[in-house]
Amino acid sequence: MAADENAFSELIQDYIVECLPLAEQVGDAFVALERRWKEGDPGDNTLAALAGPLHTVKGNSAMMGIAPAQTVAHALEDICALLTAEPRLRGDEGAALLVSGSGMLIDLVRRAAGGAQPEAAAEFAEQARAFITSAQTGAAASESAGESTERRAGDRRITSRREEAASEPGSVVRVDFRRLDALLEVLGEGMIEQSAVIELYRRLARKVGPSDEVADLDRALLALQKTIKRMEGILMETRLLPASSVFNRFPRLVRDLAHAAKKPVRLVTSGGATPLDKAILDRLGEPLIHLLTNAVVHGIESPEERARAGKPAEATLDLRATSESGRVVIRLSDDGRGLDDASILAKAEALGLEVRASDPEQLRALIFLPGFSTVKEVSSLAGRGVGLDVVATSIRELGGTIEVSSRPGQGVSFTLSLPLTLAILRSLIVEVDRERYAVPLSHVTATVRTEPDTMHQINQKGVALWRGDLIHVADAGELLGTGAPPNGSRRFYVVIGTGARRRGILVDRLIGHQDIVVKSLDPTVGRPEVVSGTTILGDGKVACILDVVRILDQRVPV
Amino acid sequence: MHSRRGAHSGPAGAGVSAAPDKPRTGSLLHFADELDRQRPATEAPTGAELHLVTFALDREEFGLPIAQVREVIRVGEITRVPQARPHVRGVTNLRGRVLAVVEIRTRLGLTVATTTPRSRIIVVGVHDRTLGILVDAVSQVVKVPADTVVPPPEEVLSPGTDYISGVARWNSRLIVLLDLEKVLSLQD
Repeated sequence: MAADENAFSELIQDYIVECLPLAEQVGDAFVALERRWKEGDPGDNTLAALAGPLHTVKGNSAMMGIAPAQTVAHALEDICALLTAEPRLRGDEGAALLVSGSGMLIDLVRRAAGGAQPEAAAEFAEQARAFITSAQTGAAASESAGESTERRAGDRRITSRREEAASEPGSVVRVDFRRLDALLEVLGEGMIEQSAVIELYRRLARKVGPSDEVADLDRALLALQKTIKRMEGILMETRLLPASSVFNRFPRLVRDLAHAAKKPVRLVTSGGATPLDKAILDRLGEPLIHLLTNAVVHGIESPEERARAGKPAEATLDLRATSESGRVVIRLSDDGRGLDDASILAKAEALGLEVRASDPEQLRALIFLPGFSTVKEVSSLAGRGVGLDVVATSIRELGGTIEVSSRPGQGVSFTLSLPLTLAILRSLIVEVDRERYAVPLSHVTATVRTEPDTMHQINQKGVALWRGDLIHVADAGELLGTGAPPNGSRRFYVVIGTGARRRGILVDRLIGHQDIVVKSLDPTVGRPEVVSGTTILGDGKVACILDVVRILDQRVPV
Repeated sequence: MHSRRGAHSGPAGAGVSAAPDKPRTGSLLHFADELDRQRPATEAPTGAELHLVTFALDREEFGLPIAQVREVIRVGEITRVPQARPHVRGVTNLRGRVLAVVEIRTRLGLTVATTTPRSRIIVVGVHDRTLGILVDAVSQVVKVPADTVVPPPEEVLSPGTDYISGVARWNSRLIVLLDLEKVLSLQD
């Protein structure tokens, strides 16, 4: 009991240590922006840069169950998103909201351990909503080509600035990427050793009690932690390349494909300046080529068919990359015929899958299953027996997700969400039947203490009422096959999620947040569905990293 | 690696009592050299030799070619991996690397045994992969004349035991020689 309380208060401390500087950074930036906007200078992309820290604060607040801070951070994010897209709206009213909201956020984070009043947070969220609604109704009238060209011009400006910075003569050295990998490996070992030292410090502090030396050591370790974090940041930045390094190959590819398929197609790319880890970019080309080929060969109709549908003869493929809260989102849209829901349903039935035809999203997700192709004619270009499941698998192996949306007659859009880097993963460490596991924080929505009257059963499966929704809560011991009989005594559950999907996993203890160095799993071990890799923890023990995306994908609950 | 050792333990046995030209690092190889030194001169082999690391499981003794053995380590904490293949005990930390540990006992059809202070992990290299093999105890490093190796009696073989590449009869001991690649193919 006491150990759990300790662990929990340590988690709160971790939260404050991580989030307070971020909240303060955001607050300072808003104050600076307010001044600039007063002077009539709406430019700059400071706002976009604040999305990351805000999102981290929001996510961590949600995880720790500090709802007011989460609410305020969320409202701030919404305002930032609006103002990023609409520079015209950058003025007194917006700035005042941002400044007051961030002030509130700093206060909420600082007092995370003691209670805060949710009323003020709710009130602020209301104000933010009102501001956004009025701005949008005002904007609807004046929305026109002007806005989008402005944005595009903005993109280009960023691109050219980056290119300038990259090509400044005399300040650039060429480095073999393997050396950066080696550097990262060493840094990773440093991080493991650091967490070993911190672990020892905690034990020592508990043993000897408070003293000046312990306090000094605490400060010194905090400083070391910050330095290593900065080192990691700089190294990660060094490893980043613009998405254009992959995108650049595509205009010619699409041109050739279009030519062969006798369909006029135009490829429009944007967001080429969006940075991504080279290790990810290297493995992104294949899946994207696959999607582009599919789009040209299957997605886009013949010119005659397009003419009958009243579409321009030349089809448009739109490929864009954007940075969204610490991840990179790549979206490929075509203006072709859209997915054939009827064929998918028929195929699903032929394969004996149970689907609800009324749920188009569930239906369309099936196209990522192995052996699922509705294409009737096999052409030399696509339909080489390699399906979308291969694309989905490679994206998942990169720690990403892929989603599809489709509107009949109007086109298909694939959305890939990718981590910025593969090597280091911010994780929540949990304990299940005396083994520890890492859960990537990017997919942790919340951690919840189990209360006896909140846990229920439907059809012998655990469910919990979480924030007004019934979610399935699985026992981690069962999910991971630890062999220990479920005894209903697990004290926490972790809510994991992607998109709109949520699932809870019951665990024994929450150990804390940690940046872990990802070590791939030896193929000798097999290809477990629930594990994406391993890492070495501070005490030298190996822990498995849970593959949250695939756990969520499991249709049949354990 | 192989050639270096070959030169050292040449057919004439010239190197048997001579000190190795370079001090070898790694306790196991050092151990092998010690053995060389202690061996009485009368045992000097006359033909080709097999250099083996032997380990015991229950009442059988097994041998692995030393060329495939990188080192022998004590058993640290082994982390179970959910949904791992059969015969995989888990993963362990080998100086910052994550090493897969194979449960050789069940692979060879024996029952699982608990690890004891005598248990060891034999770290082997097969192709470019490095793996750990969990054994009850490592007996020793031996040199066995190649001409003592015979095929096992067919009657003791059963389907799926093609990982036995032969049996060495040496000093009234029977050492079952394992074909690591087949042992580790882990097809089930």
